Amino acid sequence: MKEQEPTVFVIDDDRMIRDGLQSLIRSVGLRVETFASAQDFLGAKRPDTPACLVLDVRMPGLSGLDLQLKLRDDGIPIPIIFITGHGDIPMSVRAMKEGAHEFLTKPVRGQDLLDAVQKALASDRALRQERLEANEIRSRFESLTPREKEVLDLVVEGLLNKQIADQLGMSELTVKTHRAHVMEKTHADSLAHLVRMAEKRKSSIRK
Amino acid sequence: MPGWRRPVERQRWASNRANLTFVMHARCCPNIRKCSIERNLSGEADELMGRNVDAPSRLNAVARYALATVLVALALLISLALQKSFGNPFWFFFSVAVILSTWFGRTGPGWLSVVCSTLAVMYYFTPPIHSFAVSPTDLPYFLTFVACEVGAAQLISWRRRTEDALRQARDELELRVAERTAELKNANEALLERMNEQKRTEETLQATQAELARAARITTIGELTASIAHEVNQPLAAVVANADACVAWLSRPHPDLWEARAAAERATEGATRASDVIARIRSLITKATPEKSRVLINRVMKETAILAEGQAARNNVAIELELSPESPVVLGDSIQLQQVILNLVMNAIDAMTTVTDRPRTLTLRSESPDNGHIRVVVQDSGIGLTEDVKGRLFEPFFTTRSKGMGMGLSISRSIIEAHGGRLWAESNGSGGATFQFTLAREDRTSA
Repeated sequence: MKEQEPTVFVIDDDRMIRDGLQSLIRSVGLRVETFASAQDFLGAKRPDTPACLVLDVRMPGLSGLDLQLKLRDDGIPIPIIFITGHGDIPMSVRAMKEGAHEFLTKPVRGQDLLDAVQKALASDRALRQERLEANEIRSRFESLTPREKEVLDLVVEGLLNKQIADQLGMSELTVKTHRAHVMEKTHADSLAHLVRMAEKRKSSIRK
Repeated sequence: MPGWRRPVERQRWASNRANLTFVMHARCCPNIRKCSIERNLSGEADELMGRNVDAPSRLNAVARYALATVLVALALLISLALQKSFGNPFWFFFSVAVILSTWFGRTGPGWLSVVCSTLAVMYYFTPPIHSFAVSPTDLPYFLTFVACEVGAAQLISWRRRTEDALRQARDELELRVAERTAELKNANEALLERMNEQKRTEETLQATQAELARAARITTIGELTASIAHEVNQPLAAVVANADACVAWLSRPHPDLWEARAAAERATEGATRASDVIARIRSLITKATPEKSRVLINRVMKETAILAEGQAARNNVAIELELSPESPVVLGDSIQLQQVILNLVMNAIDAMTTVTDRPRTLTLRSESPDNGHIRVVVQDSGIGLTEDVKGRLFEPFFTTRSKGMGMGLSISRSIIEAHGGRLWAESNGSGGATFQFTLAREDRTSA
């Protein structure tokens, strides 16, 4: 799969901090987009690339924590690195509980931020990969006919063809044909591969 | 003469003194006035009745009567001796005795000497000798003598009394003058003492007021500590971020000098901003005496907005600055004026912390309603003012906050009034409150 250029979003109401962070992140060759407020960020068109958010907690208007909740509610999974002037524990606990990737206090050491950014991007990349795979699997599984799906479920449960044929009231030969179709449509190399994909699909649906 | 004039004068003096005394002591001891008058009047009465005049002579009354007797006896002896030598009795020695007795012994001894002299003359010198009878031929002569004696006694006695009274009056007057002088001196000292005391009290009061004002400033600063920490930390964070970026650009295999330079410049800018914040805070805490100078009110408002920015952001309050395009100038103490505006802004932010159903907006506006004045308006969309709160807002130690000292508005109002302006509060129709003050414009009034 082609790797897109990752983007770091910096949101801070203080221009000098915004510019400093932007310059710092750009210096390691990453693409940076800056916003003066959470509203600006929400209103902007975001490229579909691995990304992370460097977010000031305290901002006029929508605060960093508000933005975090809004993104979660809107189903936009993006790792967030919080930056705060006040290392206020209840706030950081809340942010971490809501899935913040990192919580740094101002003034932030450059290397700490860059490390956090790299980790966040790596995690987003992995997540995106996972999501892509899950989508792929889902679409493959969705191409199965209802009968094939029934056969698949029983195959994954570990039943023999004979048992499946008995349960579904069809001949063993028909089961074998369906089974071959399933293997073909889901691009499964082996029974083990098919079981793994079925598990992944289940967990992605649960998510 | 002075005898009948004195009382009037005295009474006047006494009443003058009484007034003074009253003024001096009225507050602490009203009784003093009464006492001193009573003492004064009773002393006066004594003197008028002559008690003091007689007192010393009564002590030696016996001596005075004895003196009269001795003088008459002496006159008798001299007369007898002279009669023996010259045949003619020198009766005038008796007159001398009477005069001296009356003068030195006063009235009583005088009359005694008159009686004794008359008897002596009757007995020793008027025929028949050695009898108290007087022959008819000598009667006119004798009677003339008696009349002279009586006249002399009367005259001398009267003269003596007058003299005594005069001396008495003079002594008394001196005494009184000395007394009054001492009293005046005391009164003066007391007055000075009181003036000093008042001055000290005023100084203490002033110091207390200054201290209180400072305490209020510090309290405000205490409330602002978080804001200040933010204010200083923010530029420092910018410095660190930009310095790190600068280093990062320089550390690349092919250093990007242009980027490094831009980052370094931003770092410098951040450091300057941090030091500006510190200077502003310092001027806020300094116990500055009011210093009137030309103040650009718009600039003060802008600075205040920057100072309050952190606090406003933390409470999700948007500050809207609407400055008069005329950039008006007032004459005043910019730090004190900033203190007032900051106080109003902080109150406005506090008033909005519980508001959730509408935007938390703080409008900080300067306007020139007419050529002579400027108006500074601080408007919030907070909880507003109830009638009860409105009535007591500017009272010292009145507060609606659990941690408030209740001094902010009271001090603010005195600062504005000291600048010749007016500070008042109103409820907004749409919820929230508007605080505003007016000041005379310096750029128009002087022109």
